Amino acid sequence: MYEPATTRADKPILVIGGGITGMTAALEAAEAGCRVVLIEKSPYLGGRTASFHLYFPKLCPPVCGLEINLQRIKRNPRIQILTLAELERLEGLPGNYQATVKVSPRYVTEACTACNACAEVCPSKRADDFNAGFSKTKAVYLPFKWAFPLRYVIDRAACANGCRACVEACKYEAVNLGQQPERKTFSVAAAVVATGWEPYDASRIDNLGFGKYPNIVTNVTLERLAAPDGPTQGKIVRPSDGQPPKQIVFVQCAGSRDENHLPYCSSVCCAASFKQASYLRAQNPKAEITIFYIDIRMPGRLEEFYSKVVKEAGIRLIKGKVGRIEGEPCTDDLLITAEEILAGKKIIARAGLVVLATGIVPQTRGLPPGFAVDEFGFISGSEGDFYIAGCVKRPQDVAASVRDGTGAALGALQSVVRSVQSG
Amino acid sequence: MAEPLLVNPDRQFIQDVLRNGAEDVKKCYQCATCTSACPLSTEEYGFPRKQMLLAQWGLKDQLLEDPSPWLCFYCGDCSKRCPRKANPGETMMALRRYLTSQYDWTGLSRLMYRSAFWELGILAVVAGVIVALFTLPHNFGFGLLDRSGPAALSTVMLDRFAPVGIVDWGDKILALLLGFLLLSNAARMFLKLTRGRNIPAHLYINEFHRLVVQGLTQKRWNACASNETVKNWLRHVFLVSGYATMFILVVLFLPWFQVENSSIHWTSFLGYYATAVLLATTAWILFDRIRKNTEMHRFSHFSDWLFPILLFLAAFTGILLHILRVLNQPMPTYVIYVVHLAIVVPMLVVEVPFGKWGHLLYRPLAIYVAAVRSKARELAAQTEGVAVASEAVASS
Repeated sequence: MYEPATTRADKPILVIGGGITGMTAALEAAEAGCRVVLIEKSPYLGGRTASFHLYFPKLCPPVCGLEINLQRIKRNPRIQILTLAELERLEGLPGNYQATVKVSPRYVTEACTACNACAEVCPSKRADDFNAGFSKTKAVYLPFKWAFPLRYVIDRAACANGCRACVEACKYEAVNLGQQPERKTFSVAAAVVATGWEPYDASRIDNLGFGKYPNIVTNVTLERLAAPDGPTQGKIVRPSDGQPPKQIVFVQCAGSRDENHLPYCSSVCCAASFKQASYLRAQNPKAEITIFYIDIRMPGRLEEFYSKVVKEAGIRLIKGKVGRIEGEPCTDDLLITAEEILAGKKIIARAGLVVLATGIVPQTRGLPPGFAVDEFGFISGSEGDFYIAGCVKRPQDVAASVRDGTGAALGALQSVVRSVQSG
Repeated sequence: MAEPLLVNPDRQFIQDVLRNGAEDVKKCYQCATCTSACPLSTEEYGFPRKQMLLAQWGLKDQLLEDPSPWLCFYCGDCSKRCPRKANPGETMMALRRYLTSQYDWTGLSRLMYRSAFWELGILAVVAGVIVALFTLPHNFGFGLLDRSGPAALSTVMLDRFAPVGIVDWGDKILALLLGFLLLSNAARMFLKLTRGRNIPAHLYINEFHRLVVQGLTQKRWNACASNETVKNWLRHVFLVSGYATMFILVVLFLPWFQVENSSIHWTSFLGYYATAVLLATTAWILFDRIRKNTEMHRFSHFSDWLFPILLFLAAFTGILLHILRVLNQPMPTYVIYVVHLAIVVPMLVVEVPFGKWGHLLYRPLAIYVAAVRSKARELAAQTEGVAVASEAVASS
């Protein structure tokens, strides 16, 4: 029989990816008594979920759910967390794998208290990738206000040559510019792959004008524009002039369900746009919102949310995919060409802000070979004790990813049990 | 919301359109990217999304009353953008093929579009008739040549082989017959497009210039936004100028065009122009169809090959005939004369009333009727507006 790991020296589970899915898998396994190595390539945990303004359908901030998970992680001695860490190799046989992890230097040690003295003196700036480049941070920065681990990180590529201002400013001696990349190896019984997703590159949909006109944003960047800790302190404004938009157009299936781009349905964008339409209206009750769609896909518990938002005044649904977006000459407005199918009429709508509902692309870079990938690039399975969870497996929302993470943890636990029994 | 619609699918129509090049039409999920991407489709004439639906559901009657397939010039933007790769551009082309076969009342066009064997068979029969005309009678063609003595065998004497008077009558009769067939088909199209619509007669006159201008210049094509548009349009205008020149030379000026001796005549220069243009444009078009490098040329139906091939061969044998005559090669000249006619006549018989060539009339006619219908609708809306306004005045 299996006994809690605290009393035995069995091998840990490797969790690849520290987003909501990987955090869940790591916690579930650790709270069941197993040791876990959680690796995350960015400097913080929480992944894309951490950058969202609100969840659908409850319209509550992800901060609170993530915060609970972070508390559980902090309390749990069985989870070893490596940020800025990427998997280099994963070799071995079922129940017994060698994982080689490359940890990039953070240049800030655990002595950091996040006092901000370093950033105050730092002379260099970098585009804030957490805020989709809409704002800048210093070269030494905290990824975001409640980032975990709560430690600064230095983007050496952004540093001025030979500058040591932060080193001198830090009274805790937490800055170490001499840090080198490290290689760590772990013997693990199983691995959970939760490498997540990235938004589809909207500039590849060249008829929709993204990248050409400033007032066309994606659904992912809108989350940052709406977030209170975002570049505009939560005030949703047009990038061109900082004014709140009066007419907003949502373009559904911007890349998804399109054989020229992503042939599959990304499954979350309809609900995400409804959520965004809803909080846009809450912020500006006079906003006129139009959502152009092929089909609205909000099944199950989301249907109630659909019915609620549809009834809101000021939100108009038009069946018909947008085929063209052009800038209106002499203004920053946009002209959206579509066919209103139910009326059988081709129309040109005008908007001050266009939100492209871009889809989900599985993030599989940096994974060792040997995973089976489906026709769309999602990981469909593997030989051995590897468990796939979250958006790298299929496009899904946070709730489903969390369930997926729990399921993967159960599979990984069974692998650990098997390895104990056989070894 | 629209009224409930009882769909009565014409399955033969669906089958015919699928076979005519719309084989991907059922992949369409009606998202309307095509219509919004199309630079020619308008609020009033939105296409090709609606036409995709007509083809999917077999709504033949609605299709026959819709000028839209002819308002499309196939820039291919719709197919390029189509998220389902359902090829709306080629579907519009397939619908034009289908409509051509529907306008024809003899039923021959339908047979030819359904089967390449029928098309080749009819071409062969007409070619056979031409060859027979030159070989069987004793007072025309090779029969006449036998009776003309040795002089016509040492020098080219076309009058001793194919007397220009007889040929001239022949081509005028052919032109009248084919013209009648084409016009009767166009009349059927016109009735389908206008019947049951309240269109004041003066609009037909006011808008008539469109028929002429579009027929001569295909100007509407230029509103397509695709990069290939200007190239394709110019090439087409040249092609049209080539065969129009040739048509005029042959039908109206044959006594000046088919000359006896080896001299170069004024008609020769017009002939050179037409030949050069026809050879170059048809070869170029065939080259594009082989390379499949543009949306418009990616898919080639049998009829798309046949037309430029025949036109190329007609021009080629025509100039060969001219060269042989100028070089004074009697027997080769006579033989090529027959070969030339055995290509040109079947080509015209098959293409003008039954085949792809019909679009030279159908397209401008559709543009014309579409404009007339628009104006009629505008007028109706105005009168309604006036009626509403006067009612308002009366009641106040």
